[in-house]
Amino acid sequence: MSRRYDSRTTIFSPEGRLYQVEYALEAINHAGTAIGVLAKDGVVLAAERKVTSKLLEQDTSAEKMYLLNDNTLCAVAGMTADAGILINYMRNSAQGYLKVYNQDIPIETLVRRVCDVKQGYTQHGGLRPFGVSFIFAGYDDRYGFQLYTSNPSGNYSGWKAASIGANNSSAQTLLKQDYKDDISFDEAKKLALKVLSKTTDSSKLASDKVEFATVLLKDKAPVLKIWKPAEIDKLLEESGVLEESKDDDN
Amino acid sequence: MSGYDSALSIFSPDGHVFQVEYALEAVKRGTCAVGVKGKEIVVLACERRTTLKLQDPRITPSKINRIDKHVQLAFAGLNADARILIDKARIEAQSYKLTLEDPVTVEYLTRYVAGVQQRYTQSGGTRPFGISTLIAGFDPNDKTPRLYQTEPSGIYSAWKANAIGRSSKTVREFLEKNYEKEKDLSDEETIKLSIKGLLEVVQTGAKNIEISIIKPEETRSMTNEEIEKIVKEIEDEKAAEAEKKKPKKKD
Amino acid sequence: MEVVLGIRAKDGVILATSKAFTRGISVLKATDDKTRILNDYNILGFTGEGGDTTQFADYIQANIQLSTMREGTELNSKAIASYVRYELAKSLRTRKPFQVNVMLAGLDKREEPFLSLIDYLGTRVDLPYAAHGYAAFYTMSLLDRHYTPDISVEDGLKLLDMCEKELVKRFPMEFKGLLVKVVDKKGIRVVKGNE
Repeated sequence: MSRRYDSRTTIFSPEGRLYQVEYALEAINHAGTAIGVLAKDGVVLAAERKVTSKLLEQDTSAEKMYLLNDNTLCAVAGMTADAGILINYMRNSAQGYLKVYNQDIPIETLVRRVCDVKQGYTQHGGLRPFGVSFIFAGYDDRYGFQLYTSNPSGNYSGWKAASIGANNSSAQTLLKQDYKDDISFDEAKKLALKVLSKTTDSSKLASDKVEFATVLLKDKAPVLKIWKPAEIDKLLEESGVLEESKDDDN
Repeated sequence: MSGYDSALSIFSPDGHVFQVEYALEAVKRGTCAVGVKGKEIVVLACERRTTLKLQDPRITPSKINRIDKHVQLAFAGLNADARILIDKARIEAQSYKLTLEDPVTVEYLTRYVAGVQQRYTQSGGTRPFGISTLIAGFDPNDKTPRLYQTEPSGIYSAWKANAIGRSSKTVREFLEKNYEKEKDLSDEETIKLSIKGLLEVVQTGAKNIEISIIKPEETRSMTNEEIEKIVKEIEDEKAAEAEKKKPKKKD
Repeated sequence: MEVVLGIRAKDGVILATSKAFTRGISVLKATDDKTRILNDYNILGFTGEGGDTTQFADYIQANIQLSTMREGTELNSKAIASYVRYELAKSLRTRKPFQVNVMLAGLDKREEPFLSLIDYLGTRVDLPYAAHGYAAFYTMSLLDRHYTPDISVEDGLKLLDMCEKELVKRFPMEFKGLLVKVVDKKGIRVVKGNE
């Protein structure tokens, strides 16, 4: 019976809810987890890549991490095809700002712009909402290192540590437990991997299941990096996360 | 279940526009916002969603927004909808000034915002905005405090004090009982009344309240410490009152 | 035949504009203000085709203020200069371009004194001192001779007085004196010419 209010996106249910948006959020709750941690000297993003088949080529470029411009990158959870549209929009928008003001777009401005697009798809006729949540990480002059999340409703908020996708509530609980306000970049890397390893279904993390990206500051300029599989494997080894999870299994 | 609520915004046989009514439900699901006019100031007080420990308060958007130097807007309802409406209001404020040189009056801006909301209830393929707003401020070269409210239907109205959002009815009743019409409220009394009103529905105290004090020449947000101080005052008063009542009962 | 002059000192920026509003061979007004306040620490001086000038400056002012409201923070001087240049360059490629030359004076990020000269062709140069139009012919030699990068606003104003005297002496037009504004850490203020 509830079909009456969920067959079209732009309609309020009698309780004042937007079912299409809630369903989109639901879809994202089944997508691979992505985690972001804000440190005092950097930002870390980590995401789980779901391996659907052994035959799938693994060495292709990242699916969940995207560079947006010189000072912002994001991790995606949800429908990758939808994400593509928005990422394209953000990259265009960021360059448009750079062209006019000759400086990089502030992170929040970029986040707001893409969220305005998402909002539009929840209000205007004949369209479904975007089935994507993002975690944004970046650096700008105004607020330094920053971390945001956005969801299909077009809401966004700023975080010290955040997670989206499958098991995000348990990830959030783990983050709350272990996050410290003065966390360092190296600790943040470890924390992100640890939380990811505990929330993913697969028992053992490896580079074919993990994507990793970081924002750092070098000579006053932000340095963005999406990590290569070999680097991720090395990091996993060094961080000791694998050992810990093994212990948990016993 | 009649089918008159499934198409976007059309009349049902008994004269309802269901989508607009449902949009009001969305407003009621939003956090509470209170506005109170004093003699010389207007105060907007909002419930802040329980700040999750890991949220970054610096960069998480606020519920009270500046439209122009002299006008502030607080909302209840869907955050993303509010952002769009606020942006339209900001553009109108500057565009008005560009053509007419004078800054907008608070009433004009309210009428504009309400007009946009109305349009979304009647034009094709869109749902109404799921928000109510409180618009507060001062007209240019004028010291009279102004406070207006708009609703998803596009109705707007002027108020001495009002509340929107979750449990707004409780707060409004509280304000009706405690707003002394005959007496002009001093700045302190205005701030206190708005916090008192909000405390009717916000149990968690100062950290979940944000307050904007609007004066003719300046607008500022209160710090957490300032709010805490007043919340404590109110709690002490309440405790003292309860204390007073107790022995009486014994007599 | 309007004067727009700017001097960037170590602790602030000076912007001077002529007070005469002329049309053809007549002076219509002797208290004209050819500047617009963009935000707390940036002002725009302008000359050019009457009508175009105010239209353009008001448009820029409205957009900068809109940006302040939207972002909850002010654009810095370099971003504003870039935006103004972009608007002029965009306008130049339309059927009826704005014929406006501007000078932006401000404190970049509320810290660094900043002066930028932008003409109707979309040319932008950030300079220690600058003038638009004919005024440059009479003042550049003085500025070249007496300007030092560590000049104070106070000495800058004295240097500006020399420039004004020279203009009064040599400039063939009556420009009704200069309206002088200063942007420094304290904000924007008028120092001379609004008597």
